[in-house]
Amino acid sequence: MKNYLRFLRRCLGVSLVGDWRYYAWIGALGALSVIGLNAYAKQFVAGLITTGMSDQVSWGVYIANFTFLVGIAAAAVMLVIPAYIYKNEDLHDLVIFGELLAVAAIVMCLAFVTVDLGRPDRFWHLIPGIGVFHFPGSMLSWDVLVLNGYLLLNVYICGYLLYCRYQNRKPAKVLYLPVVFTAIVWAISIHTVTAFLYVGLGGRPFWNSSIVGPRFLASAFTAGPAFVILALQVIRRATAYPASEDGPPEGGAAGSRRVVQRTAHVADLDRLVQCLPELAGVSIEERRVFLASAVVMVVPTGGILLHQGETDNDAFFVLQGRIVVKRREGAQVRITRDVGPGEQFGEVSALTGAPRAATASAEEPSEVLCVPAQALRRLMRHPRVNEIVTWRMTERLMIADHSLLILRGIVQVAMIINVFLLANEIFTEFYNTNREAISWRYLVLGLHGFHALVPWFWTSVALNLSAMVLFMLPLTRNLKWLNLACVMCIFGIWIEKGMGLVIPGFIPTPIGEMVEYVPSRNETLICIGIWAFGLLCFTILLRMAVPILQGRLSRWNERTAPARPSSP
Amino acid sequence: MPPDPNLPPSDRASAGMTRRSFLRGAAALSVGAAAIAAGLAPLRQLGKFTSVNEFLQKYYKELTPEEMKVVLARIEDEVQRQYGIRPHVRDYKPMNGVEFVYALNLTRCVGCRKCVHACVAENNQSRNPEIQYIRVLQMPNDGTFDMDKGDTNYAPKSVPQPGFFYMPVQCHHCKNPPCVKVCPVKATWQEPDGITVVDYNWCIGCRYCEAACPYFARRFNFTAPSIPTELINPNMSYLGNRPRYKGVMEKCHFCIQRTRVGRYPACVEVCPTGSRKFGNILDPNSEVSYILKNKRVLILKEELGTLPRFFYYFDI
Repeated sequence: MKNYLRFLRRCLGVSLVGDWRYYAWIGALGALSVIGLNAYAKQFVAGLITTGMSDQVSWGVYIANFTFLVGIAAAAVMLVIPAYIYKNEDLHDLVIFGELLAVAAIVMCLAFVTVDLGRPDRFWHLIPGIGVFHFPGSMLSWDVLVLNGYLLLNVYICGYLLYCRYQNRKPAKVLYLPVVFTAIVWAISIHTVTAFLYVGLGGRPFWNSSIVGPRFLASAFTAGPAFVILALQVIRRATAYPASEDGPPEGGAAGSRRVVQRTAHVADLDRLVQCLPELAGVSIEERRVFLASAVVMVVPTGGILLHQGETDNDAFFVLQGRIVVKRREGAQVRITRDVGPGEQFGEVSALTGAPRAATASAEEPSEVLCVPAQALRRLMRHPRVNEIVTWRMTERLMIADHSLLILRGIVQVAMIINVFLLANEIFTEFYNTNREAISWRYLVLGLHGFHALVPWFWTSVALNLSAMVLFMLPLTRNLKWLNLACVMCIFGIWIEKGMGLVIPGFIPTPIGEMVEYVPSRNETLICIGIWAFGLLCFTILLRMAVPILQGRLSRWNERTAPARPSSP
Repeated sequence: MPPDPNLPPSDRASAGMTRRSFLRGAAALSVGAAAIAAGLAPLRQLGKFTSVNEFLQKYYKELTPEEMKVVLARIEDEVQRQYGIRPHVRDYKPMNGVEFVYALNLTRCVGCRKCVHACVAENNQSRNPEIQYIRVLQMPNDGTFDMDKGDTNYAPKSVPQPGFFYMPVQCHHCKNPPCVKVCPVKATWQEPDGITVVDYNWCIGCRYCEAACPYFARRFNFTAPSIPTELINPNMSYLGNRPRYKGVMEKCHFCIQRTRVGRYPACVEVCPTGSRKFGNILDPNSEVSYILKNKRVLILKEELGTLPRFFYYFDI
């Protein structure tokens, strides 16, 4: 408990430190949040009359954004499912980012619902046990339960996994796997329940259609992973710094900072066992064989142990000191992991034969045990060693293009399904001259001279269709095109589920009145404020998570470096 | 600690100057706090928003008679403070063996909207912004019965206009009310005598009921209601016509303060053509029992299964 509080305090500390880009971004989001808060204070005083809503159109952009963001939150599972069910190692590295996004999205959802309430001071009427909770009758009470439950699940998963990484210990499966699988089902439920909020209203034919639930999921699994693709690239860029600032060039370092080799002794292995207790089960006989093939490398600060792009098959265990692994992408460098005594590096290339993905150098005078791939494989026949080495392989900040392309595949399929479902609905509503389809007619073509939503609808269709085509073309294997397609589909879906779903349900009214809706200025400012606040939360969560994943914010440097984060 | 040349630049920057960064952080925090305080400045105009007793008031169905007395007295004080008139607020209870039903004669209604005005006056509805429970549709006599062709803003010199018929719509007090089903805090419910009511002190203002209602019968207080003192009806009921709060729902309650003491609703009393009939369906000799047995009846949106207690009927 005390340790956890110290962990939280250090996370908080690191979130306050960054370069000027970080401060500018945080400052801008903070300023927008305060502007939104100011707008909300005005609404709180005057009432919802400050919005564009009316008795006729009684829900507006607040509920529209809420609906969209529930989808974004639910889509975190599209990272979790491939990682945990299909054992996709690339996405495994990224799961935590999806979960953090879910947390930020749910925070925004709750904020949007709160600002929509006429009497936020009476929120306690909604708390089960204290107020009067209409469960299971009201779908809104279901939504209260599933959204808060999902928030708790994700906060728990992120908090536990990051804490374990911070403590440099392997998370206990019983403590998080059941929660992860619960969260997968839960994610589907939050969006289905949100769809049922609308579907359950028999008096609103526009919503009262069983296809709305599947459409919600399809659009969520389109916009959500698209959002994650963009977020990951921002993280990737923000965690890198120009290679020119990365100390002396690599080649020149070799001469002045020599790596000295010596044979490995039993004492070296004992030191390793001390910081890697999983090795204790290895028999004396095997240890001797292992030692025979190993050498110890003594590296001064800055000494380089392996170079990115090389193909050799040695793996390394740190005996003493710190080793930083840096990956160079173009003119940018990013720290992917930072390892200390007992931890390994270079094992991925050793086991797969792939070229080195990064360069490893000593951050302080260090000693590492260098073993050939066969020796590592032999060692990994021991289940406990295998488990810890495999686990630590994923403990790195690695956002590979390959992972983004897996997500692209998900968006591709989800978008096709989404467009297909929309086409189904359009056909049903328009082929028959059914009076029930009147809101559809208003949305798509305009009705009785009212057509405020028509441009929105067609913009959304255009964005979604172009995004779908782009996602199908090999063009979007190029990241620039992929980003464009992602932005298009996020906006397309945002309109589809906001202006295109919530608002037309109210027009015309059940007794045929035509009243249109346009969000007011104050209402828009509140929305911007909530989005800014949500992104602020997401940024701060990432600011904490990234150095932990890199291994640069962890228990080993609790005392030695109170505030030494990596670049943001 | 000297900056380490091997660290990335931002690390080098932050490694050696914790004190300065602390001061900078403190400055940033105070700027942030000041900004938030400035952002919240509009709250100073809030005035007296809610009292502690009002905030902590229990759910209507959980109030004991003694607690109800205290609540009613507090509400009388609130009304007096706000409107300068001492009202008489009572909690009228349903009568045994009574289920109210409403019947409206579409052949006779001339669309004069006297019912709308009587309703507003009786039920202390906000005059600014205007809130009305009854919407009257002017519908064309063109061989259709299409509410989309209805006009609620008709304003001819006199009514009825040739070629039109008139259809007032208000709360149907359904036996299977969608609004009650969706309310997350049970702030709206059906009373034993069939009246669907709202506890204005329990509603959280989510407007889900308004989205659920197929008859456009519910109204929301988008801001604090305003009623001139001279127009206040001082005979008030807790579940009925007492002044409402900002941010809560309200709706037609069959003039609970009249009908539960044996009087007609204001709209029935005022109707100059006798199109509006109201009574106890459990009494076989009541006017409404006669109408449902002997007249041709129309139930609006019968296919939704809401089972309204509000019937339209025809003379011919």
